[in-house]
Amino acid sequence: MSYFAELANSVVQGDASRATELARRALDEEIPAKEILDKGLLPAMDRVGSSFEGGEIFLPELLMAGDAMKAAIGLLRPELSKKGASYIGKYVIGTVQGDLHDIGKNIVGLMLEGNGWEVVDLGIDVSPEKFCDVIEKGDFDILGLSALLTFTMSEMAETVSTLKGSGLRDRIKLMVGGAPVTQAFADRIGADAYAKDAVEAVAKARSLLKR
Amino acid sequence: MQGLTNVERVLKAIKLQEPDTVPTLEIDIDQRVIEAIRPGLSYEDFCEHMDLDAVCYHEMRTDHYEVIDKAKGIVRDQWGAIKQYSAVSLCVPVTKEPAIKARKDLDTYVSPDPDPHSRYREIEAVVKRFKGQRAVIATVRPFGTIRDSLRGQDELFKDMIRDPDMVDRLNTIASNYYVRYVRNLIDVGVDIVLETADWAFTHGPMVSPKHTERFITPGLKQIVDYCHERGVPCLKHTDGNIWLIFDAIVETGVDGVHPIDPLAGMDIGEAKARYGHKVCLMGNVDCGNLLSWGTKEEVREAVRECIDKAGKGGGYICMSSNTIHGAVNPENYVEMVRAIRDYGKYPLSLKP
Repeated sequence: MSYFAELANSVVQGDASRATELARRALDEEIPAKEILDKGLLPAMDRVGSSFEGGEIFLPELLMAGDAMKAAIGLLRPELSKKGASYIGKYVIGTVQGDLHDIGKNIVGLMLEGNGWEVVDLGIDVSPEKFCDVIEKGDFDILGLSALLTFTMSEMAETVSTLKGSGLRDRIKLMVGGAPVTQAFADRIGADAYAKDAVEAVAKARSLLKR
Repeated sequence: MQGLTNVERVLKAIKLQEPDTVPTLEIDIDQRVIEAIRPGLSYEDFCEHMDLDAVCYHEMRTDHYEVIDKAKGIVRDQWGAIKQYSAVSLCVPVTKEPAIKARKDLDTYVSPDPDPHSRYREIEAVVKRFKGQRAVIATVRPFGTIRDSLRGQDELFKDMIRDPDMVDRLNTIASNYYVRYVRNLIDVGVDIVLETADWAFTHGPMVSPKHTERFITPGLKQIVDYCHERGVPCLKHTDGNIWLIFDAIVETGVDGVHPIDPLAGMDIGEAKARYGHKVCLMGNVDCGNLLSWGTKEEVREAVRECIDKAGKGGGYICMSSNTIHGAVNPENYVEMVRAIRDYGKYPLSLKP
C-alpha cells in the first residue's frame, strides 16, 4: 500500500496517532506538504464525506476521522504556510443569533477545511452586525449561516436583510443550512444555495465559486 | 363514542384504539404564541383554553440550577455542567463545559439526588389541577443528560469508539438517577412519561444502529419497563430521520413515537403502515415552514392529510412536528387545532 493510501486509511479509520506518524514520516522523507495534503488527506476526507452521506458511517466515526485529519494537517500547516499554499477559497461560517448550537456548523467547517477551504468560524449566536463587520473587513468568497432551531430560522432572514441594508450582500455568496432549513426557505430569504448536509455543502460551495 | 375525557382520549390513542376524536397536545408552546392568542395565560392555562388533551411538564422544571452569570444566561446544572441559554432559545441551552471532562472525573463524581420532595411540589400542583381530566405527561431525557450534561456531545460520541466502558459507566450514572426520578414522577401521579432526547439528525441517526442499540436504547428500555410495571405508558420523542433506528426504538416497548419529522423526510403514511400496529404515532404537522409561514388553508390541508394517513383505526395523536415555537404564526396554530377537531372525528370522514 502506498504512503498516501495508508495515510488516507488512517484518517478514514479515525486513527489520529497513525495519521500523524505517517504524515511526519512523509515530511521527513521530504515529500512536499501540498502533495501529502492532495494525495493523502483530501481523498481521505472525500471518502469520509461520501460514507457519512451514504449512511455507512455516523457521527462518532466522522468525529474520529476529523480529529485524525486535524492532527495530520497540524503537522503540515507550517510547511503549507511557508510555501504559500493556496486554498480553494475563503469561507466564513457561523450559527445565527439566538442559536447556540454548533455541531452541524462544525461538521460543515471540518469538511470544508478537509476539502481545501480556508474556514473562519465565527462560532454561535452570531449577530447580523457581527457577520457584516467580518465580511466588510475580510475577503471572503462565501458566507455560511447555520441554524438548528426552528425558531432561529427567522434570524437567518434578519441577517440577510442586514447584509442588504449594509450594501454587503452582493459582495459574497450566501449558503444556508441546518435541520429546519429547506430549499424553499433558502429561496424565500434569497440565499444563493442551500445544503442539506456537510457533503452537499462542500459540493455547492465549490460550484458557487465557479459562478 | 361520546363523552371521553381528554385523558381518556389520549390513553385510548396510545393503546392503539379509536377514541371519539383524534387527540391533540403539544410538548411545548412558546409564550409569544400564547400571548398573541390569549394574553396573560400560562402554558397550563393555555392548554385548558385550547382544550388540548394533555399538558406536558418538563424535567428541567424539577432540576436545580446554580446561576453563574445571569446576564449571559450561564448556569451550572444539577449534573455539574456549565450551560448557556440564549435570549431566543430559552428551552434549548448549549453545553459550555460538561461535568465529566476526563475518565478520572468518574471516580469522584456525585450524582444529583432525585428524591427531595421539594422538587416535585410544582408538578404535584399540575397533577392536582388536571388529574382525571387532561393527561399529565412528564418528560425525561437520560441519554440527553449523558450527552449534554455529563460528557458533551463530541466526546461522548468519540467515547463510543475509543472507550466504550466509559459510556457504560455514564449510562449507569444516568440509569441510577432516572429509575428513581421516574418512580417519583409516577408516585406524584403523572399519567404518561415521555423521553425527549433527540437521537437523529435530518439525514439519519446520530450514531449507527449498532451503537444506538449498544449505548442508547437500553436506558430507554429500562424506563419503559419500569413505567409498564406501574401501568404507565412511555413515549419516545426524537427529531430527525429515524428509519434506520425505528425498529430499535419500537423494540424498547415504547407506546408512542413523536414527531415523525416531516422535515427529515419521515412520511407518516409509511410509518403507519410499518409501525402503526405497534406504536401510537404522534406529530408530523410541519412546524418549521408550514405553521410559521404557510396559509391557513395549507395548514388545514396538512392536518387533513396527516389524519388521513395516520388516523385510521386510532393510534394517532395529531400535533406539530416539534413544538409550537416562537416563530409559529399564532393564527396558524389556532387553525391547526380547529382542523384537528373538524377532521378528526371518528369514524373519520375527513370532512369538516
